[in-house]
Amino acid sequence: MNLDATGGTVLALLGENGAGKSTLVKILAGDYEADAGSIAVAGASYRSMDPAAARGQGIRMIFQELAAAPELSVAENVMLGQLPAWHGLVNWRSVRASAGRMLEDLGVELDLAAPVSSLRVAERQMIEIARALLGKARCLILDEPTAALSHQEVERLFSFIQRLRERGVAIIYITHRLDEVARVADRVQVLRDGASVLEGPVPEFRRKELVTAMVGKSVGETGRPVPLDRTPTRALLSFEAATSDGAFVDLDLTVGDGEVVGLYGKIGSGTAEVAEVAFGLRKLTGGQLAVAAGKRAARNPAHAIRSKVGFLPADRQREGAFMIRSVAENLCAPSWSRLARARLLISAKLEATAYGRWHDVLSIRSRNEPTQPIGTLSGGNQQKVLLGRWLESGSRVLVLVEPTRGVDVGARAEIYRSIRQLATEGVGVLVVTSDYEEVVQVADRAVVMSRGAITAQLAREDVSIERLSSAAGE
Amino acid sequence: MFLVVETVFFSIKSPYFLAWDNWLNILTAVAVIGIIAAPGTMLMTAGQFDLSVGSVTAFTSVVMANLALSHSIGFSLVLAVIAGIAVGVINGFLVTVVGVNALITTLGTLAAFRGLAEVTAKGQTVGVEGFEFLGTARPFWNIPVPVLVLVGVLAAFWLLMRFTVYGRAMFAIGSNPTAARLVGIRSGRYIFIGFVLSAAACAMGGLIFTSQLSVGSPVFGTGMELSVITAIVLGGASLSGGRGSIVGTAVGLLIIGILNNGLTLTGVDPFWQNVARGALLIGAVSFDRLRARLGD
Repeated sequence: MNLDATGGTVLALLGENGAGKSTLVKILAGDYEADAGSIAVAGASYRSMDPAAARGQGIRMIFQELAAAPELSVAENVMLGQLPAWHGLVNWRSVRASAGRMLEDLGVELDLAAPVSSLRVAERQMIEIARALLGKARCLILDEPTAALSHQEVERLFSFIQRLRERGVAIIYITHRLDEVARVADRVQVLRDGASVLEGPVPEFRRKELVTAMVGKSVGETGRPVPLDRTPTRALLSFEAATSDGAFVDLDLTVGDGEVVGLYGKIGSGTAEVAEVAFGLRKLTGGQLAVAAGKRAARNPAHAIRSKVGFLPADRQREGAFMIRSVAENLCAPSWSRLARARLLISAKLEATAYGRWHDVLSIRSRNEPTQPIGTLSGGNQQKVLLGRWLESGSRVLVLVEPTRGVDVGARAEIYRSIRQLATEGVGVLVVTSDYEEVVQVADRAVVMSRGAITAQLAREDVSIERLSSAAGE
Repeated sequence: MFLVVETVFFSIKSPYFLAWDNWLNILTAVAVIGIIAAPGTMLMTAGQFDLSVGSVTAFTSVVMANLALSHSIGFSLVLAVIAGIAVGVINGFLVTVVGVNALITTLGTLAAFRGLAEVTAKGQTVGVEGFEFLGTARPFWNIPVPVLVLVGVLAAFWLLMRFTVYGRAMFAIGSNPTAARLVGIRSGRYIFIGFVLSAAACAMGGLIFTSQLSVGSPVFGTGMELSVITAIVLGGASLSGGRGSIVGTAVGLLIIGILNNGLTLTGVDPFWQNVARGALLIGAVSFDRLRARLGD
């Protein structure tokens, strides 16, 4: 694969999750080593980079998860790693002066003494960028920088990137959002399944070409779900005029038996909080939520599970899996008391039997050993095990948050198939996602949220990327 | 592996080492540590520590001895056990309801209840009459009661950790607290019970000490938290939770017991024995780390 970044231009690196965007730029930043090929910076050629060499050459990466020191002040964070010092003694006056000058140059107004933990994500990003520039960055890599930003913050970031370009910095902008490409980039390169499939100046391409290149097939036909031959007969999960302070207001949303509802919205739109309420992780401050037939909303996850609600969290490693424990244990955890003799005694054998029930149904690719730690499986297979949790526990309603984040294309199709299969068995599924492709591929109908309110309700035949994007305020 | 090397080494060095009676000595010497390490192992799999164990042991023994001065043995015994368990309730409450870190909580109760034991006993040892059975009786095969209790407690916790929903849940909590909550495990309640069980084991330990020496003393179990954690960690439990086993802890316990016993039999200065124990802990854990890193 080739990648070419020129000073004073913005290159957009476009691709789905798992297309190879991050791997490519991490080779550039020295985090990974290329198996073959070379890197040339300003004429000098390198076989591989290490992080120190990459920094030395002025290549800086701004990560999605910002790596600043949150307890230190703004000034210290800007100067981190390059504090002006005299024989090990920090010259604080000079720290503040340099940091202040840098931020002023960039048009950012921040209290230099404030701890970074008190700032919003967008402001932390500015600090990261300021630090990179202070370290004489010539090439700046931004990894999905708008994922956690509000609309105005995105605008500010874009004008900021504009200014950086005028200063002659080469910018590599990673994203999977098409609208951003047109807004910010001069050139675009589309990656799919680890290969570069399209490359050239932005104005040459129409939106549709980019989407087709990114997804690999014509969008109109993309894996639409087979419509169900029956309509839902009763509501399994219904929000009525539901409000949760600071997250969403006056929300009406119903998931019936046997249907898959896609709840689409950007990060911060309130979709994540809707999912949390459904599983008893967050309280409503107004309105109400009914689970299954007339039952009250869950007070906590244990209660939700008893009401036959299952929940797949967005962050598999941190919130979903018990990484060092076996796949069988991971799959059985919510069902332990039901599986146990006298609700008390459980054995590895009982767990293995339960695991055997779902291994093939979910096409989990493993050595088929129930004792294998889940951490040794690939992301997609881990996700299948976690989905199996709720099959084993007999959930009637499933709330799946970003069910295929970080999952490869093959496993994604299998997960979608499992979700569809569940729906035909009468389970109600709410897929909460910030990935429009996911809505297109799995949902019977879509509900779109923006800034805590529903902005569109789309029937199956009306679901399209354009409509989803415009309703989500992109 | 350590265990085999140790056993072979000391049996060459000392002819008494392999005798049945000596094995009973070894087990008696580590009985209380082992009784406490059993619930300790389970707490550690849930990512929790109990550092207050030594103090609870001393506190229980002092309460027992003081009450026995004016009341019947049975009455004193029951109240002493309740007093010990009360400390577990305090630990559990602070950790699960108030949300104080377990290390800090039990470091606090470690100091406070050592002090309370001193206050209760006015800094003295208090004699107890007619309470020899628990510590010194040998009901069959010449095996002392503390060793029987040790075996019973280890077996009970082996079953608890391996075959009950509770035990499974403790592993899950230690492995990933957030995920545990999201599969409906009542972590707080379970950890609370863990601290109470730990304190109950300490109370048992305190009674055994009291019975063995016919006194209640505020200095019983000083520094015992170190031996307990050493045994657990030697047994392969992970300090960050999610991993650990009673069989492993039993092996760790034997390693400590054999080391102490062997060093005494071969006439090593007791002060050096502390050095050996510390070196053993660091050595075993470093070995484990290195092996894990090479395995990757």
